[in-house]
Amino acid sequence: MSSRRSRSGPTLNFKAVLLGEGCVGKTSLVLRYMEDKFNPQHLSTLQASFVTKKVTLPDERRAQLNIWDTAGQERFHALGPIYYRGSDGALLVYDITDQDSFQKVKSWVRELKQMRGTEISLIIVGNKTDLEEQRAIGYEDARQYAQTVGAQYLEASAKENEGVAEIFELLTQLMLERLSQRERDAEPPNLLRLDASDAVSVSEGEEGNGEDTGTGQRSCCGI
Amino acid sequence: MDNNVEQGPEKTPTAVRTGTASAAAVTAEAISGTRNAGATPVNTLANANSTFWKNSGRRVPGRPSPKRDLPPGFAATGHRQAIGSGMVSTFRDYQQSVSDAWDTGDDEFCIISSTEAAAAAAAAGAGVDGTRISRQMSQTAALNVIETHSRSNQNHNTPRANDCGSADQTSSSRSTPEENREERRRSLPDSNDNSHNYPGRPQLQKISSNSQDGEYETKIEKFQVLLDSPQLDLVALKKLSWSGVPRRMRAVSWRLLSKYLPPSSERRMAVLESKRQGYQDLRHNYFRVDSQDETQQDTYRQIHIDVPRMNPQIPLFQQQLVQEMFERVLFIWAIRHPASGYVQGINDLVTPFFIVFSAGGPDAQHRSREVRHVHTGGGDAQHHRGGFLLVSIQVSRLVYRTTISLPSWAYRRRSINSRIFIQRIDVNLHRHLQTHGVDYLQFSFRWMNNLLTRELPLHCTIRLWDTYLAESDGFALFHLYVCAAFLLHWKEQLMQQNDFQGLMLLLQNLPTHNWSDRQINVLLAEAFRLKFTYADAPKHLETKS
Repeated sequence: MSSRRSRSGPTLNFKAVLLGEGCVGKTSLVLRYMEDKFNPQHLSTLQASFVTKKVTLPDERRAQLNIWDTAGQERFHALGPIYYRGSDGALLVYDITDQDSFQKVKSWVRELKQMRGTEISLIIVGNKTDLEEQRAIGYEDARQYAQTVGAQYLEASAKENEGVAEIFELLTQLMLERLSQRERDAEPPNLLRLDASDAVSVSEGEEGNGEDTGTGQRSCCGI
Repeated sequence: MDNNVEQGPEKTPTAVRTGTASAAAVTAEAISGTRNAGATPVNTLANANSTFWKNSGRRVPGRPSPKRDLPPGFAATGHRQAIGSGMVSTFRDYQQSVSDAWDTGDDEFCIISSTEAAAAAAAAGAGVDGTRISRQMSQTAALNVIETHSRSNQNHNTPRANDCGSADQTSSSRSTPEENREERRRSLPDSNDNSHNYPGRPQLQKISSNSQDGEYETKIEKFQVLLDSPQLDLVALKKLSWSGVPRRMRAVSWRLLSKYLPPSSERRMAVLESKRQGYQDLRHNYFRVDSQDETQQDTYRQIHIDVPRMNPQIPLFQQQLVQEMFERVLFIWAIRHPASGYVQGINDLVTPFFIVFSAGGPDAQHRSREVRHVHTGGGDAQHHRGGFLLVSIQVSRLVYRTTISLPSWAYRRRSINSRIFIQRIDVNLHRHLQTHGVDYLQFSFRWMNNLLTRELPLHCTIRLWDTYLAESDGFALFHLYVCAAFLLHWKEQLMQQNDFQGLMLLLQNLPTHNWSDRQINVLLAEAFRLKFTYADAPKHLETKS
């Protein structure tokens, strides 16, 4: 999986995966976020679809989200690892009107915890809040469950475009924090001391240097 | 072939003359946009200020492309507008857009369903009577079919039953190519162009291009001779079908090729009847979800959520009765084949069969009445089910025959095979994919599992099936060669992609929306070459690491 971030480049690369039972709205969430569209009738996803989106982080850095939107059917469960392996974040989606789909989220949580431990940021997403009157899972129940497994909890409606962008923004933020954390751990102690005040500034500085060197070299050649 | 070659370049001037030039040009732009999407992000500037999160404007695989790709005037061109708003709004729109896709035997169904409202009103007025008459009519039709068949056995020159109503069709297919194009363009406003809205999805287009009819004109006679003989020469039929079956021979030919109907034309009706009965028995035995059995419940649940999501752009598939039929067929199939069970995507395999069989066959007349009946929305459900039995039994049988060779987790092995295979035949492309971390499993699974249905326009899939059904030793292995040829076809574009994202986006949205039978013929020829080269060297598929 060379889709992993290349830390030296100016663009950060994050890999995320959407998991959850069939027909809970995984593709709809992606479609809403990517193109601000909603289609009540669309095809079921086969295997998985790959999409990317470039975003600008609050600190002006650019990042690319590489998202695997997977198929929901149980039969494809065995293919899960090829998508969540190497992922920085996962969105576990369920349908708030469907108890079974929430159970499926729990089983994904167990699997991800076992296979990836704390290396992956988890957000549990309750989709279809437009069907509030048919709600089967209470907001508090879901939020508490998420807390116990160290995941974030958000609700959204891809149909009404409520809370969709927030999901991906939070996901990016979580993946960024995890990256900064890892970089801080990986760096030699003396460097860490210089910039220990703010984790974000560490990576920011690094990125800036990377870019400068790049352009510097280019202008050298040009002259 | 000559016809095809000539037609390509001619298309543009024709478009210019009728003033769709701007549309064509814009579409060309849109297409090239898709191609470059991997390398250069389009549309990044527009949103920079309006939103905090930049919008790259990339396409979600298999999703309608962003609305902003459409020039304002474009939306007025009917079909596209309807799709943009989520669905073709009325059956009339749909009918106009694909009016050349149906056999003329179905004209009655088209006409009547276009006056759907009137017919529905009449049915409501007539009440029970309407139903009774329709049943009677269908019985008469069935009798006609049987009679004509027995007559054709005595006299081979008598037109066969499945040709009823095909006289118009023949004359239309003999009209000049220019006329055909005119006609097609009128009835199919930029259907070729707007299909890029659905990359990686089965695309509704004309079921076969008119150019194909010209090309196959001479073949029709050969098919006629073969199909009329009392004892079918299956080998000859396979040989003839490999390079494509003429549209109106398809339903019969596919049935014969798949050995669904016996070679002896005398026995065909009897066999058909017994299969119909057999399916009815199956339905009684299996189409009951066992509340005790969790697997069955899961299967049914999955089918139930998948079927409504099939072919959202084809209104026929939105009919409740059609959906019920698919549910039944898929469920019975899944229960009967526990080794593979129901896998998302199998339902897509049924689509070409459903289209072909519902567009013509020995029972065309009979069935078109039934479909019309569905459209008018009248009558009792029991009756409809009877009408769809025939289609469903054939579909289930064929799906059975075709996917039986795909036991569930053989897929993984298959894609490993394709990897090793590509490594053998094109080491550069293999290295390129390898370097950028593209796992064959990430794209070839869908190709294998779904027999390229989501990668090609529907009429191309149907053409592909002509050959698959004619492959003498089953197409399971041949499909591997086709996939390899398909991958190699995109080599140049793939080699230009310099990162994982670009490669993956291209592989998931291969620009096949303009493909016609010509490209499929080339693809198949290449696959055949590979097969010929490697068939006697089975070692090339073995793992060597």
